[in-house]
Amino acid sequence: MLSYVLAGLALGAVYAVAAGSLVITYVASGVFNLAFAAMAFTVARFYYFLNTEQGWAIPPAAVVSLMIFAPVFGALLYAVLFRHLRLRSTLVKLMATVGLSVALPPLVQLVLGHLTNVTAPALAPRPLAVFHPFGAVLNADQLATYIGLAVVLVVGVGVLRFTEVGLRVRALVDSEALTSLSGTNPGRVSLGVWAVSGTLAGLAGILVAPTSGLSAEGMTYMMSAAFAAVIAARLRSLAVAVVVALTMGVVTDVVQKYLDPSSSFTAAVIPSVPFAFMLVFLLYYAVRGEAGDAVAGGALDRAISPQGGDPSLMRTAAVPQGRISSSSIGTLAVVVVIAVVPAGLDRYWAGLVAAGIAAAIALLSYTLVTGEGAMVWLSQITFAGVGAVVAAELVDRWSWPPLLAVFLGSVLVVPVGVLLGLLTIRLGDLYVALVTLTFGSLVQTLVLTQDPFYDFGSGQPMERPSFAQDNQVFAYLALAVFLLVGLVILNVRRSTAGLAVAAVRWSENGAKTLGISVIQTKVLLSALATYIAALGGGFLAMNFRYTLPDSFHPSLGLVWLAVLVTMGSRSIVAALIAGVVLYVMPGIFASYLPDKFADVPTILFGLGAIGLATHPEGVVAQTGANLARLFTRRPGWAGTAATTLTAPPDPAEAAPHDRSARGEVQQLPTGGQP
Amino acid sequence: MSTDAPLLRVKDLAVRYGSAQALFDVSFDLSPNSALAVLGPNGAGKTTLARTLSGLVPSCGGSAEFAGQDLLKLTAPRVRRAGLLHLPEGRGVFPGLTVQENLRMALTADKQARNPGLERAFEIFPVLAERRRQPAGTLSGGEQQMLSLARALMVSPRLVIADEMSLGLSPKAVDIVFASLARARDNGVSVIMIEQFARRALDFADQGLILHRGRSSWSGPAQEAGEELLHRYLGGAAAA
Ligand SMILES: Nc1ncnc2c1ncn2[C@@H]1O[C@H](COP(=O)(O)OP(=O)(O)OP(=O)(O)O)[C@@H](O)[C@H]1O
Ligand SMILES: [Mg+2]
Repeated sequence: MLSYVLAGLALGAVYAVAAGSLVITYVASGVFNLAFAAMAFTVARFYYFLNTEQGWAIPPAAVVSLMIFAPVFGALLYAVLFRHLRLRSTLVKLMATVGLSVALPPLVQLVLGHLTNVTAPALAPRPLAVFHPFGAVLNADQLATYIGLAVVLVVGVGVLRFTEVGLRVRALVDSEALTSLSGTNPGRVSLGVWAVSGTLAGLAGILVAPTSGLSAEGMTYMMSAAFAAVIAARLRSLAVAVVVALTMGVVTDVVQKYLDPSSSFTAAVIPSVPFAFMLVFLLYYAVRGEAGDAVAGGALDRAISPQGGDPSLMRTAAVPQGRISSSSIGTLAVVVVIAVVPAGLDRYWAGLVAAGIAAAIALLSYTLVTGEGAMVWLSQITFAGVGAVVAAELVDRWSWPPLLAVFLGSVLVVPVGVLLGLLTIRLGDLYVALVTLTFGSLVQTLVLTQDPFYDFGSGQPMERPSFAQDNQVFAYLALAVFLLVGLVILNVRRSTAGLAVAAVRWSENGAKTLGISVIQTKVLLSALATYIAALGGGFLAMNFRYTLPDSFHPSLGLVWLAVLVTMGSRSIVAALIAGVVLYVMPGIFASYLPDKFADVPTILFGLGAIGLATHPEGVVAQTGANLARLFTRRPGWAGTAATTLTAPPDPAEAAPHDRSARGEVQQLPTGGQP
Repeated sequence: MSTDAPLLRVKDLAVRYGSAQALFDVSFDLSPNSALAVLGPNGAGKTTLARTLSGLVPSCGGSAEFAGQDLLKLTAPRVRRAGLLHLPEGRGVFPGLTVQENLRMALTADKQARNPGLERAFEIFPVLAERRRQPAGTLSGGEQQMLSLARALMVSPRLVIADEMSLGLSPKAVDIVFASLARARDNGVSVIMIEQFARRALDFADQGLILHRGRSSWSGPAQEAGEELLHRYLGGAAAA
């Protein structure tokens, strides 16, 4: 028993370091660091480089990695990226961290080399010493983990409580505006916090490497488990985060004592523990209405941020005038190009284009849920994966015709999405993002990577309709379906339901007073988006003739989203381009460049999402608007287009907390914020 | 009044929040060691003026020179370090920090002896000494205001901008506020006082400035602001 508790405490300690770091960076800089796993991987990889590859002894390697490399790295990230995100919306901030977590691991691998053997030593010397306190088993790695957590806690609490630096950090957490009125530069404090979070990420990464592997995926799993503790802490309370993280670790290991280690039930229960914790806390907070968007800063910070003249309202007004003509031409052009292309390609390339179009169908579900509904759902790729599995099952077991299986099978996935939608309906953006990502990890572990669905990675076989055996024909089929779905989305946008969505997007309170049921709209949206995602998944499976479960990994979902937002998260045609880029670009790199550069597209995708921090409308929309401005002669029109451009990055950021009469009245097109 | 170069010279200051302009061409001078009362109805732009001078919100026109420095170019922390202390409207305290920590935060900008400052604050407001370990967010509204004010009295800035420090206080507490600011003046601190008690503020100040819808509608020596003038600009109720 004690052995299980001891092992659990070690696991919990890693979760605690991760959760603590996530909380402190969030409260002190307003950014929830989804790139934590990527940072952990980076530092751990660097440590591995020094310790294992360069043969440094453990102490110097640890000191250089954790005390020099990690803080400099964290501070650098803040200085070049997160500093600019402070006033942006949750969505934009998350996108930037998503971009970073997409770009960073391959970048690191490009520099330090690919690892094939992903088990890495941690901070304890090898061969691993084993102790027997009170007859239990405790290895040196676990001991090192305890010590790591203890040092972090003692130093962290000591600094926060008793030093002037700590005082400033806590002041910043309370109110940025008041902090700067007191003569303390909030930027500098945040820089320090990011430096520390680099160290914490590195520590968590190094400590977890021996058990979950030195890979971005292993770190991502560790991070999403830590989310449960972060949610329990309601994103703010360090103490709660640490306690829950430790408990979670202990529970995870102790239940193993009572389970048969070889059963598949056990294999399912273990990874579900963090999710169960998350669920319990979420329900608890949701019932008490306490899981809304955490409002950063104090009253003064809200009072000085410009309110009213809500730019989002202006943008909705501007879009129909400015976009329709330019975008319909653009859409047509892109569709024509993509339609012509497969005809001229050989099998390989036509196959890639077809895959891209199939992915684009799934991407449309992000367009709907994120672009239209402004909900940061990170689980769409999982719905796609489940859709693929369901369709394959229907074809395989019940001998349904493939197309029917895909179209009807996707309906079966809808309840899952609706359930998730209902569960998260009252939650703030950030909670939704965390819950959906964890949900994705869970389904991936529990379903998609289990047999009979996994089958050594190839998944189940999936047939194509008999008339579309040829890649080119299949590409056209996918394109037709894509356009169909696109039309549906356009109609959703235009119809009354669309208005409701727009209203929900701009202001929940506003929508409520309009008498529109937010719940109904959101549920409708999640149902439709889930269906579309599953449909896309089915098409991907048909394209590859196998379900390929690994291609639906949640971390790839981040890549999908990164590419989509880079292209523009609200435009239908952007989804098409994004899908094609997603598959064709790696194809180009793989065919024409050395192996070493195989990951470059992923890096570019991530960087694209980071670029979103500066061009929040995405490149396609941006270029479209620029072109529209160039070609238009009508001054009024140009004016609107220009307004669209100068509009502040993000509508949600202006979403007023107390929507005063002033905010409601001033809905005129304006120049946006300074 | 002294004829030296002014401590603060504001010219044609303009400010907008997003699309809505809140200040238009506001100008005034403030001599060293003097006090200015800024009056005006709700929404006139008084608070906005204070926020702009302290660097919290950006200006969109005009200039402001403080002790030879271009104020509008400085960030809020630098403004504070240059000697301008802004006590914001409402509860200008860190709710999560204890009373004592709030006071320590106030001292971070001035690298002077810490303990004399703390002692001074506790001496003026004994109630704060009793509650020094209590989180500021759990103090009553009036106590929070006292705490905010204490932050100004324990250091020696060149200029204090006090935004509605007497709002919502009992008459006795209002007396303390005025007495405290008078004490600051005696120590050579200039004061910009934004007040609802117009008469009292003008009695306290050397100069008056009345804002109306973001513009300055009257400015001049405080003693020249008679009842009739206040009535005209502020309406009956405000001229108390
Ligand atoms: N953050 C903001 N965003 C948009 N407009 C604002 C903001 N803060 C203030 N305003 C507007 O600027 C104008 C001036 O406001 P300000 O707070 O400066 O007035 P005030 O004179 O201090 O009023 P009061 O006596 O009520 O404190 C008002 O019309 C107000 O609505
Ligand atoms: Mg005011």
